[in-house]
Amino acid sequence: MTPNEPDGAELEALLSRCAAGDRSALETLYARVAPILLAVLLRMLRRRDAAEDALQDVFVSVWQRARQFDPIRGRALAWLVSMARYRAIDLQRAARPALALSEVSALEPQLQSEDPAEASEMLGSGALLWRCLMLAYQDGLTHSEIARAVNEPLGTVKSWVRRSLIALRRCLES
Amino acid sequence: MNYERPELLDRLAAEYALGTLRGRARRRFERLCVASAAVRSAVYRWEDHWSAMSRTLPQVQPSAQVWPAVSRRLFGDAGAAPPRASRWRTWQFALAATLVALAIIAGLIVRQQAPPALQTLAVLGTDSAHPVWRLERRLPLAALTIEVIGPVPEAAGKSYELWALPRGGTPVSLGLLPAAGSAERTLSERQRRALLAADKVAVSVEPAGGSPTGSPTGPIVIVTGVPAPG
Repeated sequence: MTPNEPDGAELEALLSRCAAGDRSALETLYARVAPILLAVLLRMLRRRDAAEDALQDVFVSVWQRARQFDPIRGRALAWLVSMARYRAIDLQRAARPALALSEVSALEPQLQSEDPAEASEMLGSGALLWRCLMLAYQDGLTHSEIARAVNEPLGTVKSWVRRSLIALRRCLES
Repeated sequence: MNYERPELLDRLAAEYALGTLRGRARRRFERLCVASAAVRSAVYRWEDHWSAMSRTLPQVQPSAQVWPAVSRRLFGDAGAAPPRASRWRTWQFALAATLVALAIIAGLIVRQQAPPALQTLAVLGTDSAHPVWRLERRLPLAALTIEVIGPVPEAAGKSYELWALPRGGTPVSLGLLPAAGSAERTLSERQRRALLAADKVAVSVEPAGGSPTGSPTGPIVIVTGVPAPG
């Protein structure tokens, strides 16, 4: 649990009321999670107007798709955050300003390592892998944008992401 | 691409949820999701897992026009008013004048038992002869138990919402009070902190489902002191 995290059971109850057509439940749900979803959208789309338009789209979809939410399969907040992220990914090409290299550098100054040994040490510690995942998840960067951000070849980044997924999966299964 | 291999499917689900699966591959995978429950559950699993990463972002309040726009798009009207600013101060005044309900401070009934210690936090009622809810907390305050111990006053179409009133802070919702039976409420970190810092809790009457704004919007019907944690 982190500060301000809404109660999962409450979100599930609100979603099931949305599914039953209760408009006030959608409004309550909006009050609970809109600030969380807007943070996600803003980080990915980088423009307030685009992020708020996307937020509207997300709540329209939440209302239309509330019936598809299955509390057994996933947690409500994860489902809502995913809806926001997928909407942002769909909009990114149109809405997000092209990423200048200088901006990418500003995003992750600690990754600017000229020294391959140091970079591989970071990799060894998992820190660089983690940063790659965060750049993908939080910033919505593509493989090639991540490659530019961490100054590594595209193929290397793709294989890092793949390796971390395998490692994470193992970790989740154990 | 051969979608029959489970490891491949799982990796695609992971990359889909992470966002690195793009373009045509993403569209293809979405079609596969619609067709296969197994694929969907792999995606849900990864969505749950990745979502931890979004929790480090500080929340951002949307502008006031976003909700009415949603409401217009869905219901063809301006809908309810946009979330309002806290009316807490108004209610503080209203409280003094219109407090029909009495709060009973249950005192502090600490049960010196083996952990997890259960502590009666407050008994909430409309007067001393009619207790309605008992709040108990488990130390170190990760959960709150709310038990209905008397008839809940009728409030058609409304919900009773419980608030922690931290000293010098704004009220923090502790969720809706049950209409019957009992409820075990796991507290978020924010709720936990608010309750630890609270010297009072309050009950307000809200639209069904709770306050739409995150602050009390309806009349406060009960306010009562709570003992300091200890």
